[in-house]
Amino acid sequence: MTALTRALRLTFHGGGLSYRALFNWTTPPMFIGTLLVSPLFQIFFFVHVGRTLGVADDRFYLLGNAVLATSVPCVYGGIMAVANERRYGTLGAVLLSPRSRGLIWGGRVLPYILNGFVVMVFMMGAGSLALGLPLPASALLGLAQVFVVAAASCALFGLALGALAVRIRDVFVISNAAFTLLILFSGANLPPAAMPHWMSAIGSFLPLSHAITALRALFDGGSTAGIWPSLGGEAAVALGWAAVAYGLLRFFEWRSRANAALDVM
Amino acid sequence: MTAYGTSRGPYRFWRLMAVGLRTHVLHLSRSGVELVMAVFSPLVYATLAVYLFRAGDHPDRLLQAAVGAGLMGVWSAVLFGAGGAIQEQRWMGTLETLVSAPTRFSLVLMPITFATSLVGLYSLVATVVWGVVVFDVPFAPASPWLLAPAMLVCVVALGMMGILMAATFVLLRNANALANALDYPVWMFSGVLVSTASLPQWTRPITWVLPTSWAARAVQAATGGGEVLRPSLVALGLGAGYVGLALIALVWVERRARSAGTLTLT
Amino acid sequence: MTTDLAIEAVDLARSYRTRTGWLKPQRKTIDAVRGVSLAVGRGELFGLLGPNGAGKTTTIKMLNTLLLPTAGSARILGYDVARQPLEVRRRIGYVFGGDRGLYERLSALDNLRYFAELYGVEPREQLPRIHQLLEQVGLTGREKERVEGYSRGMRQKLHIARGLLHRPDVLFLDEPSIGVDPAAARELRRMVADLVEGGTTVLLTTHYMAEADELCDRIAVIASGTVRAEGTPDELKDRVRKLDVLEIEVHDAIGEEHLRLLRETGGIERATVETKGTIDVVTVHARPSHASHASVLAALGDLRTGKVTTREPTLEDAYLSIVSDAATAGSEG
Repeated sequence: MTALTRALRLTFHGGGLSYRALFNWTTPPMFIGTLLVSPLFQIFFFVHVGRTLGVADDRFYLLGNAVLATSVPCVYGGIMAVANERRYGTLGAVLLSPRSRGLIWGGRVLPYILNGFVVMVFMMGAGSLALGLPLPASALLGLAQVFVVAAASCALFGLALGALAVRIRDVFVISNAAFTLLILFSGANLPPAAMPHWMSAIGSFLPLSHAITALRALFDGGSTAGIWPSLGGEAAVALGWAAVAYGLLRFFEWRSRANAALDVM
Repeated sequence: MTAYGTSRGPYRFWRLMAVGLRTHVLHLSRSGVELVMAVFSPLVYATLAVYLFRAGDHPDRLLQAAVGAGLMGVWSAVLFGAGGAIQEQRWMGTLETLVSAPTRFSLVLMPITFATSLVGLYSLVATVVWGVVVFDVPFAPASPWLLAPAMLVCVVALGMMGILMAATFVLLRNANALANALDYPVWMFSGVLVSTASLPQWTRPITWVLPTSWAARAVQAATGGGEVLRPSLVALGLGAGYVGLALIALVWVERRARSAGTLTLT
Repeated sequence: MTTDLAIEAVDLARSYRTRTGWLKPQRKTIDAVRGVSLAVGRGELFGLLGPNGAGKTTTIKMLNTLLLPTAGSARILGYDVARQPLEVRRRIGYVFGGDRGLYERLSALDNLRYFAELYGVEPREQLPRIHQLLEQVGLTGREKERVEGYSRGMRQKLHIARGLLHRPDVLFLDEPSIGVDPAAARELRRMVADLVEGGTTVLLTTHYMAEADELCDRIAVIASGTVRAEGTPDELKDRVRKLDVLEIEVHDAIGEEHLRLLRETGGIERATVETKGTIDVVTVHARPSHASHASVLAALGDLRTGKVTTREPTLEDAYLSIVSDAATAGSEG
């Protein structure tokens, strides 16, 4: 095997295996209940709130919350990709591997990106159908681009939070908190005009806010190329979180060797 | 109702409730996840609600926004508490020790679910304080003397509904999946944050059978004005009905769990 | 209702229906326990031995009312485990090994208070009883700490205290010594012996043969869901006592070929090898009249052999012989 195929194998095959091993939500009840039904109701809930309070129209909430739905598999998945290693006591064995950390951890993110993409496609389809909103064919290409970038940045964000799992015992505190914070800061549920400056400032460093802006611009009649600046912002956020994730994982790995404190925290 | 062979059944019943409540409130209050659910998330929702109400047509009803977010938290706490408590006890291995105790399982479950709704009360208090302190929401409930009783009714009614949910969750290995899918629909159909008036007609019966709807209506009435007593009574009545159902279900559930072996993960 | 038997099981059986796969579900029925009959007298310490997955825990869970039998019946102190669970639960204690089964975020004291209430201990007696038990298991002074900081041994002690709160007449101990250090395991054995002394009936499962040999009045060896042998430790040993146990030290690496030769030698029933440091020790079970030292050494041929000893069969020898017989019978039938 060449070095390249070996690297690809580690990234894709290893990533896929880790998804099956560590993501607890792949059983049909969990997948349907948590990844599909719950976010769909989230769309309906906010549409209902938006209608009652007269804040924004149905499409505003559909687009925002469809993208937000990716945070369920991506944030929780990214965290489980590391945290469950601790839970199963396999983290030490993984860290003994001589292979590249970038490929090991990077590969783990790929299945969640795919999962997040599928979830967003489902939300968009089911949500449009239920709310009777049009889904123009001309928007599909842009839609796909937004979904890929959004899922990637959210999964890398999840991985960065997951890195904390090497040190923190009750990491699901973080996943629940992060998940809730995204509901507020991503701008999925508050129109830009209603958002205070500090909130949008924080949101611009978190995943999804740029992607949601891009998607709304697309549906407001923007061209596919016109959304690229926003998508670029989302991609920058993704790269930033990737760097944070990589840095944290390397740092904690080094620290735990230095302090012999891998599994005792 | 006596679980023991003694003549002092009622005394032992209340004692069991008190000891169980203390145990599980303590245990829940020391869980980070639980506190995020009961305090942190409701504060985030309260923040969102305040900005939504300001942006919408109701900048004058911010207290209701805060209370609504708190009620959302109470429901989450009961939902994930009842589902999560059972699932967690299954993970911890304590579910078997609870079932093998010589106390009726329904009596064991009751304090657990009341503990979850009591922990949910944290969220109501937290969101109101948050609204007043951070957003200068004037604390001027329409019926100040009825607010606390209405909140108590809410806790009791939801705790009673929790028993029926917990009973179902004993059977389901995938209790989490069900719980995760049930927070938004109940928030929506019981009108905890905004009224159900604009929902389609066919959803009315769902609203009516949920004690959350009536409890929320009572608490919101005590905050923003309206009748408190009647919805409180309906909430309690519905809650009692769910307890009755749960008691019937539990006899069967316990037997099912014993025959299907769903008490452990191993 | 009076009966001399504390535990009485007749043809107890349990099968599980499992489903694997979601798209094309495959349904399988697994017979975990296939007809176990036991009779344990009051005050007896009865051991249940068997390999992993033999059905020990399933048997215990049927006896302590957590699982319903799919066939057969069982009574604890005369009460039916399937139909009178509350009566049974009032009289039994259940302690299992492992890290689970306690409220981690609560102190030992809070755990015990809660279970004392659940087990129906009289309110006035609760605190004295709890402190007495804490003293007995050696947790006094640590009772206010949260369980999450407890070591494996301390958790096991707390488990036992929990199981004893309501002074059960019958105690089920399911592998209580798993992962417990030798000193704590010895304390545990002493505690169990004391309990039996005090009249408690104990049903114990364990993987430690020395523990079973030291403690148990009678033992049943269970494999593939049925009882393969039953009797006092000595009776079980007698089953293999008919065979001589020879241990031969070998200084060269011993191969499969040698073992095959040994097993084919007349009169030799079993031959196993264990590496101890730099030498291999071959254990041979041979019928006395048949195999001699010479024939055994002949089979080992060119290997450099050292000390040859004959020893008394241990419970472990008996257990391994019973379980391997069961495995052979299982693979044939």
